[in-house]
Amino acid sequence: MSKHVVQAEDLKKTYMLGKVPVEALKGVNLSVEAGEFLSILGPSGSGKSTLLNLIGALDKPTSGTLLIEDVDVSKLSDNQLTDLRAKIGFVFQFFNLIPRLTAKDNVELAMSIANTGKKERAKRAEQLLETVGLKDRMNHKPAELSGGQQQRVAIARALANEPRFMLLDEPTGNIDSKTAQEIIGIIKRVNADGVTVIMVTHDQRLAREAFRTVEVFDGMIGKHEVDHN
Amino acid sequence: MKTRDILGYAFGAIKMRKLRSALTTAGIIIGIAAIVALLSVTQGLEATLVSTFQQGLSANVLTVTGNNIPLYANYTNQIMAIPSVSQYITAASPVIAQAGYITNSSRSTLQVTIVGFNFTEVEEDYPAIFAYVEAGSIPLNPPDNAVVVGAKISNLNLNGTIFVNVGDPLYVTTQVPIANKTYIGNVTAVLKPVGFSYGGPSDTGVYIPINQAEKYFGTDQLSQIIVILKNSNNDTITKVSNAITNYFKGQVTVESSAAIISTIRSAISSTDVVVVGIAAISLLVAGVSIMNIMIVSTIERTREIGILKALGMKSRTVLTTFLCESAITGLIGALAGLGLGLGIANIIALVSPRDNAIQINGIGVKITPVLTPEMVILALVFGMGVSILFAVWPARRASKLEVVDALRYE
Repeated sequence: MSKHVVQAEDLKKTYMLGKVPVEALKGVNLSVEAGEFLSILGPSGSGKSTLLNLIGALDKPTSGTLLIEDVDVSKLSDNQLTDLRAKIGFVFQFFNLIPRLTAKDNVELAMSIANTGKKERAKRAEQLLETVGLKDRMNHKPAELSGGQQQRVAIARALANEPRFMLLDEPTGNIDSKTAQEIIGIIKRVNADGVTVIMVTHDQRLAREAFRTVEVFDGMIGKHEVDHN
Repeated sequence: MKTRDILGYAFGAIKMRKLRSALTTAGIIIGIAAIVALLSVTQGLEATLVSTFQQGLSANVLTVTGNNIPLYANYTNQIMAIPSVSQYITAASPVIAQAGYITNSSRSTLQVTIVGFNFTEVEEDYPAIFAYVEAGSIPLNPPDNAVVVGAKISNLNLNGTIFVNVGDPLYVTTQVPIANKTYIGNVTAVLKPVGFSYGGPSDTGVYIPINQAEKYFGTDQLSQIIVILKNSNNDTITKVSNAITNYFKGQVTVESSAAIISTIRSAISSTDVVVVGIAAISLLVAGVSIMNIMIVSTIERTREIGILKALGMKSRTVLTTFLCESAITGLIGALAGLGLGLGIANIIALVSPRDNAIQINGIGVKITPVLTPEMVILALVFGMGVSILFAVWPARRASKLEVVDALRYE
């Protein structure tokens, strides 16, 4: 296995918006090494979320090659893609928690989909929620939690199945700056534990928190690449 | 995902939308309740009728009635001598029956069927009848004024009102009395309750010696001839019935209790077909409403479906989850429908005329609604089947959603 978790070559993605084809990615080349904390920076509509969706196996590329842990995503069946998703931790801008489930049940759901036993997942869910500082709120439903707390639940859920890499789509987009700092702190700790982190954002300050930043403009990776190390 | 977890998730979704789930279930409840209520009443009726017919001495008895020809006492000997079947026949006994009145010593009057039969012959050839005597005895050589009465004549409808007892006088009048003659009888025996036994004793029968019946009815034409067979095999019954019909060139009707029971059964089962058909339409309506609710529900939950798939839930599991929700709804509906249906059936039985009874040949027959294991299975299969069937399309639609589109859904 190579040291790269993600390798994209000439990656293209075209959507149909009604009858009009929209080229969201126009040939992206990108590699991400294991253990990295990478931020993908770009304005709204630049294609950065599309890129993250492809890396997260939520979508298939139109053309080009995308290797995730040396597996060519475009050659996977829908079921294989689904299996791959269960091994990736995804954190969304709008949290995407199931409203009727408590924080703990939301975290457990990810594990029950991966066939983890009942006792084991209850124990792990409690541990993870404790790690993100929600020990006292684990039996609350999303509606009873603040935006920051919901995002912590989402991070705990993303870590539930011990993913090798975690993808974050504007993880602090809907929370205040103080809470955002706490969330970044958690993400850094996760990365320090060996999980590769890829974060999409339009916020330059947030992007600088990563060790490396690539910029996306108009469906292409910009020339501007910054190594923060 | 484990089956238990899928069921748990599905059940949670139902619990979340209690009112909607209850309304969805209502259609199934009504459909299943209708089927169960109607079937359990008709099944109960069938069971009551059949057991009433089988209670007495009737299985090996045939009755012969004339279609266009009068029957006379000497025909009994002719029947017994029909060569091909004589070995199957124990006895053939004449019966004269007419509608009439009986009056007791307190001058209360009942309208009944008065039956004249040969006491001696019955004793010899049909000894079981003596096992049915509750009080007194059936005289072998009956005095001219002997009367044997059924259980419900002595003890009116078995409710404790004594109309007549052994040793009491009983005045028997035919509906068209000959010169206003009244047979002044003396009750020699009261029979045990036997229900209505075809060709045998009946709870509402009043029996007098046949020679007295001929005299007071003013006729020697028989109402029917009772043929007692050596066994109650279907083969024997068919063989003897055909032989007697042929002997009289088709001018008599030969009936057996087995034939009557099978007529009752087939009449009731054809009623069942109609009943189930009507109830099935209500289930179809319930199914369409389930489909409607499921479509709305899956559209509302598009984002949830997206989240589940993003977390690694396979399309197949999404499909199963939605089908489980519908199956659970159907199961709850079927169980509630079973309970409600049985309740309705019991109410029908309670409010049915005359002391919870229907009338068969003057005898009150109580309907006890019957819930057979087959009906329970039918209700569960129908309830869950309809729910699952009509959920397949909306559930498939949900399972095929693209993750990215579903997550973007507002």
